[in-house]
Amino acid sequence: MVVQASNRQETRKPFALPRFLTAEHPFPWLLPATAMMVIFGIYPLVYAIWLSLHKRNVVTRANVFDPAYNWFKVLHDERVWNALGNTLIYTVIALIIQLVLGLLIALLLDSDRKGYSILRALMTLPLVVPPAVTAMMFLLMLDGSFGVLSRSLYALNLLSPAKPILANSSTALAGVLLADIWQWTPFMVLIMMAGLRSLPKEPFEAAAIDGATAIQAFFRLTLPLMSRVIAIAVLIRGIDLFRIFDYVKVMTDSGPGTATETLTSYSGRIYFTGEFTYASTIALLTLIIVIVVSTIFMKLFRVKL
Amino acid sequence: MEQPVHLQRLRDIIAILIVALFMFPIAWWALTSIKPMSAMFNKDKVVVFDFEPTSVNYRVVMLGQSRSEIAIESGSTFGVGGSSSYDSRRTILDSLLIAIGSTTLTTLIAMLASYALSRMSFRGRDSYLNWVLGQRFMPPIAIIVPLVTMYKTVGMRDTDNLYLGYVGLILMHALINLPIAILLMKSFFDDVPKDVDEAAMIDGATRWQTFGKVVMPMVRGGMAATAVLCFIFSWTEFLLSLFLTTTIRTVPVKITTFVTSTGSEWGFISALGTAAIVPGFIFILLVQKHLVRGLTLGSLKE
Repeated sequence: MVVQASNRQETRKPFALPRFLTAEHPFPWLLPATAMMVIFGIYPLVYAIWLSLHKRNVVTRANVFDPAYNWFKVLHDERVWNALGNTLIYTVIALIIQLVLGLLIALLLDSDRKGYSILRALMTLPLVVPPAVTAMMFLLMLDGSFGVLSRSLYALNLLSPAKPILANSSTALAGVLLADIWQWTPFMVLIMMAGLRSLPKEPFEAAAIDGATAIQAFFRLTLPLMSRVIAIAVLIRGIDLFRIFDYVKVMTDSGPGTATETLTSYSGRIYFTGEFTYASTIALLTLIIVIVVSTIFMKLFRVKL
Repeated sequence: MEQPVHLQRLRDIIAILIVALFMFPIAWWALTSIKPMSAMFNKDKVVVFDFEPTSVNYRVVMLGQSRSEIAIESGSTFGVGGSSSYDSRRTILDSLLIAIGSTTLTTLIAMLASYALSRMSFRGRDSYLNWVLGQRFMPPIAIIVPLVTMYKTVGMRDTDNLYLGYVGLILMHALINLPIAILLMKSFFDDVPKDVDEAAMIDGATRWQTFGKVVMPMVRGGMAATAVLCFIFSWTEFLLSLFLTTTIRTVPVKITTFVTSTGSEWGFISALGTAAIVPGFIFILLVQKHLVRGLTLGSLKE
């Protein structure tokens, strides 16, 4: 679309390729990528909006145009509000824990001493485990009867065998969070480490001469100087957390009941009941919230990716 | 910052402990895959090392042997029944094919787009970049319903035509990786000064020659890193593969089918899981240098 806008100003020479088709013009370079994103990204999205304006009869499989039906339903569906609450709790808790742990571990591992580079490399390994596999891993370790983590928690009296962590509606979300934290804290560690590496040396030397303690230097210098890095990490991780699907789907399938139901997993559940138009509406609601919140965040903290 | 020796020791110990804590699930997983059933499901205690290692799980998952075959071979009773649904050889091939196909496609398309975005100035360049970024954050679930309908209409579901099914999933994986690839490659192109292009073109090279013979060789490392990350993202993708395909099963989807209402096959799950994380481990060690840049879509450099 952008490309087309700039096409109009081109003047053509007779018997030559129009200028927008030559290598000097961005058009041919951007064409494949744009086509791909329009056909498989934008078109389905517009189609999803169109679908959300239809009421679907699950039995007759007919879509009837009724623009307000799904959007009215979405606002009055208690499960949507429950799912939104779960998603928000999940996102905020995971974000805080991952950020704090990430920063602490980055400070710990940021050393030139022998062996630390190996520790840093090992720390990145959780990132490449497929999330579905991570979910299975934690499902195994949190298994009510044979899971090693469950048994350790039983031994420490932190959990009772009568209430396995994933089968109990008050602790299930925590179980899912555990998998997320294990997998994505390394993401924060890596980014914080890059941030620490890029800090200028002079302010810290000056602070040391002025007799500042390490803790003062951390809060007065490290954190403010890292604010851009932290904001970028929070933005990327936050959006990905809000779209959480894999862990919930695999570990609890939104259950028990709706205790771990998030917006995306609820949409997926509705999808399998055949009410496609409503599933689309919930998915679009997720997208709208992501866009609004991330735009506000980017304006507020003046981050640009 | 010089620290006293004992503090430094303490720091070393804490650092090792923390990393060990993060390595524990992977180690436990690998250990489970070679445990016999009796050690896995022991009511009295958690079995850590005191068991006879077995290769049964790998033989079923990776070699497609059936459980009864193994039972006869070893003379022990090891459950009965077919194991065809646990044979994951095709799953691994499916995953590889889709990851390699989508990585190739993404890399080629993104290479062109990112070169233009880095080298040419045109109206709407920034909005185009923002639009690409927006695509990265779109929840895939929002486009699933229309996609399935779309694929059904043109007969591209794997149940309509297996080959087109592969093409369909490859295209979708390529699409979700495209924004990352474009932004990341652009940041690598940005590292090369524009003077290089100008010098080449003054010497009479065309745009294409400048791109292919001058600039591309200079960003080879970055391109490789981008491709590796795309491969990993495709290899680990779950949602689209789950919704879009039924006969084509990628590894992350297949592994979740091992949990059944009658009980979970932890041995097979952990064997396939271990096999599934090996390629990622090898690849991520190759791209350590560019990892931060990759994960932040090119906005942070290390």
